[in-house]
Amino acid sequence: MTPKARLLSLLSAAAIAAPLATAMAQDTITGDTVGPADAANTLTFRMTTDGPRNNDPALAAKYGKLFNDFIANHKGWKIELQMMSGDIGQEQARMLEQAKSGNAPDCAAVDSFVLPLFKKAGVLKSFSPYFKKEEIDQLFPFVREGVTGKDGQIYAWWWSTDLRVLYRNKEIIKDGPQTWDETKKAALASVEQGMEGILFNGGRYEGTTFDWLANYWGEGGKLVDDAGKPIFGEGENRAKFVKAVAYYRDLVESGAAPKRVATIGNYDDFNAAAAAGTTALFVGGNWQLSQLKGALEPEEFAKWTFSPLPGATKDERSTGTGGWTVASFAKTDDKVAMCANLAREIYMGPANEIQEQLPTRADFYSKYPIFSNETNKAFGEALKVGQARPGAPVYPEISNQIQIMMGKVLTGTEATEAAVDEAYKASLAAFERL
Amino acid sequence: MSMLNASAGAAQAPRLARSGANEKPRVAPWLLPLILVLGLFYLYPVFDVFRLAFMRATLLANDGSYTLSTLIQTLTRPELGQILWVTFVFTGSSVVAQQLLGLAIALVVVRGESRGLFGTTIVRTTALIAWVVPGIAGGIIWKMLFNEAPFGGLNSILRLMGAPPVQWLSDPHIVMWSVVLSNVWRGTAFSMVVMYAALKAIDPVLYEAAAVDGATARQRLVYVTLPQLRSAILVNMILITIQTLNTFDAIISLTGGGPGRATEVLSLYTFNVVFRNYDLSVGAVLSILMLAISLGLALVYAVFLPKDEK
Amino acid sequence: MNAANRERLGDVLSYIFMLVIFAFFAWPLLWLLSLALRTRREVFLGVSRFIPKNPTLENFTLILQSDKFIGYLYNALKLSCLSAIGCLIVALPAAYAFSRFEFKGKGAWMMAILSVQMISPLVIMVPLYRYMAAIGLTDTHFGATMVYIALAVPTVTWILKGSIDGIPKTLDEAAMIDGCNRFTAFVRVILPLSTPGIASAFIISVIGGWSQFLVPFLLITKESLTPIGVGIFQYAGTQNDSSIQLLAAACLVSVVPAIVAFLALQRLILGAMTAGAVKG
Repeated sequence: MTPKARLLSLLSAAAIAAPLATAMAQDTITGDTVGPADAANTLTFRMTTDGPRNNDPALAAKYGKLFNDFIANHKGWKIELQMMSGDIGQEQARMLEQAKSGNAPDCAAVDSFVLPLFKKAGVLKSFSPYFKKEEIDQLFPFVREGVTGKDGQIYAWWWSTDLRVLYRNKEIIKDGPQTWDETKKAALASVEQGMEGILFNGGRYEGTTFDWLANYWGEGGKLVDDAGKPIFGEGENRAKFVKAVAYYRDLVESGAAPKRVATIGNYDDFNAAAAAGTTALFVGGNWQLSQLKGALEPEEFAKWTFSPLPGATKDERSTGTGGWTVASFAKTDDKVAMCANLAREIYMGPANEIQEQLPTRADFYSKYPIFSNETNKAFGEALKVGQARPGAPVYPEISNQIQIMMGKVLTGTEATEAAVDEAYKASLAAFERL
Repeated sequence: MSMLNASAGAAQAPRLARSGANEKPRVAPWLLPLILVLGLFYLYPVFDVFRLAFMRATLLANDGSYTLSTLIQTLTRPELGQILWVTFVFTGSSVVAQQLLGLAIALVVVRGESRGLFGTTIVRTTALIAWVVPGIAGGIIWKMLFNEAPFGGLNSILRLMGAPPVQWLSDPHIVMWSVVLSNVWRGTAFSMVVMYAALKAIDPVLYEAAAVDGATARQRLVYVTLPQLRSAILVNMILITIQTLNTFDAIISLTGGGPGRATEVLSLYTFNVVFRNYDLSVGAVLSILMLAISLGLALVYAVFLPKDEK
Repeated sequence: MNAANRERLGDVLSYIFMLVIFAFFAWPLLWLLSLALRTRREVFLGVSRFIPKNPTLENFTLILQSDKFIGYLYNALKLSCLSAIGCLIVALPAAYAFSRFEFKGKGAWMMAILSVQMISPLVIMVPLYRYMAAIGLTDTHFGATMVYIALAVPTVTWILKGSIDGIPKTLDEAAMIDGCNRFTAFVRVILPLSTPGIASAFIISVIGGWSQFLVPFLLITKESLTPIGVGIFQYAGTQNDSSIQLLAAACLVSVVPAIVAFLALQRLILGAMTAGAVKG
């Protein structure tokens, strides 16, 4: 019955794809498949929207070309595309579960912050045979560390990175605030001009933790020790942690940030507020610059700029860096090799270029003209104080606890120190169960 | 393809019954397809849930040994009390509001139909449409409405009327009612349909008798309509209570459970434990807790059912 | 005279009530429509531009241009209809048995079946996934359909039992005297007479299937097999997508087919329910 059902679903999939196939006959992307339907080998690839399925038709076309060229270079193969949803945490949990039961895709986009978890679970295949030492040496240190396993092999190719910066409307806030105090003053000044104040993620969302962590890291705080055990609630770390939380709390309580930040769980809300002209200051990701360019009128966009995230003092700065990797779960070597080829030929460089996503190789900043412009040089500069989330399996739960704590603190329902201690206790309990 | 097989199975089963005695028909063949489908595709994994509850399994690893520690640790978690309270408030107010609103709409629609009032069909249809909105889409829609930015769907109306904006989702005391509101929007249609059907089924003779006795509208409602609706109301309450307890798709896209844990109901908490904390065993214990609550509530309702309806 | 006045006052109150109810239920959808018709520039103007100055269908064209959404809708329709049919096939004989036969533990069986309803897919998600993966039914519509059936079948059985209860027992007895056996009596007499109940059960399970989220989210990863409930979630969650108006259009697209079907079938649905089907 199963093969029949499978056949039936394939047939129905073909029925949907059929009209499309005739529409773009010269193209080899039909529905979920890239390449000739009768190709002997199939590689399943699960991706984010960084692929031919991008919601922006122009980008989708560019990716489509990359994939088609790729298949043209690898005769006898076709790629079956799978999509993943935007809720990264649960999506990656689902993939981990599938990997455990042997149903994971051959090749997949893995968020850099869950990479440690996948490495620990032992479900990834080594990429070391497929990448040259010189290529690996060009990776930023935090990237190289992230992809390398305990045995020294690399288990993924981390191809793009991102960072957080402080965006501002120059007409309203002339100079980029360098410290927390300056940020509060600038935000309050913008409120006087009818703005909402500074916006940042404060809802139940991974970005809430990640964006805020830069403040804590800037002070030199640490979330976990070398064994992956949470340590943010003890001693010196606790003091720094509480101080950084108090900074956010004070922004809301003083009116420098609107109360609605406790509900923001999406970077798009900042674009919206910028487009609506209701804010002049927000903590956002580097990729938002091109989104703002698309969403704003040219003369409006010209008013916007960015500066590195402020710190407790001028010198205590940091910024969270993330990004995506390509990794392989395949059972056979030829598929692992094909996945590595895909990472190299499509994502390592070309994808960075078409999407203007920051490369992870230092040499690419001079190799690609697009990354040697002023803006990207500034981003590259800020990356120097970049810090990735800790490669500890307990991190997702720490993040969850920080989100909960942030909600309590920003809405004023609990004292800062008590909320921090609660989050710490819960993180420790989760660590002991892992 | 699958359907053909299933129907063949269903047709064969009763044919077996023919050989049985005419006086005492064999029940098993008639129930077999139902029991098979439920058992094969749904109940089997339930056993696994009970097994997992007594282990220390995560998505990463499972040492395979059995222990009571998960059970104890989960049930003594400090946040559990708050989660249960949030679940209680959310479920209780949603169920009461859906039942009352559903009944009120059904009463007015039935009245409107008999009086030939304009717009009855439109009102009925609009309420029904909300029912078919997928939960995730419902959450997205309400998120746009509750957006607290000046251009949000509700706050921009308030601004237009000169009223101050409301912190729909960021005030921990308001957010629960916003979530309930969105749930009532989506869930009321079901209650309305059930109440409407039950109202239509009331024997008109009862109303005629009441009219002869000179009963007022309120008396008709209290002494004729409501007693006649009793079992329909109870069955409806059972069904919507279960539905509401299990709702999490609308909340996940509306608030994600926040701010803090202000709207984290038990079902969402369970989902988070498995998908963010990767803890299968704790998830299993919470699942069993959910099941126990549903069963307990169903029993309570069942006690109130009139004898002949059981 | 007094009575007529009172009726008229009742009418006025009814109208006010209906107006409020209409506003409550229609506003979110109208707002969605308003957003979906706007250009990027007007999205942030809030309610003051409720009727867009330059209404555009471009958002819908963009959504429908890609084969994605058509596929999502087709899959949702296929899954919910197939599972509704399967549900009837499984539930009808059982409902007949519960209605007509007296047997030991009947009440207990009925409660047991209803309590299956209380096990949300959330409760069993990971074991369910592992189990379906082990028997090779992930990423198939067959597997998802069977789980949908299991989810809806308890309610449907209860509804159908109620509907068959309403058919006098003397009818099957008469048929059996005329030479039918139990099964032919069931097929020739009971089935035609319970069409209203069958129709309402069918519609309820189609609606249930249409809005399924967790089951397809767990079991289906191929985009070409994904139904709308998951599709819209994936669409909404993509980081590079910053367009409220497109999301609004996508939400509307996910709802409109259901609305059309509903408008067409409304009389049938309410009629079927009124026939006593949901009396329990």
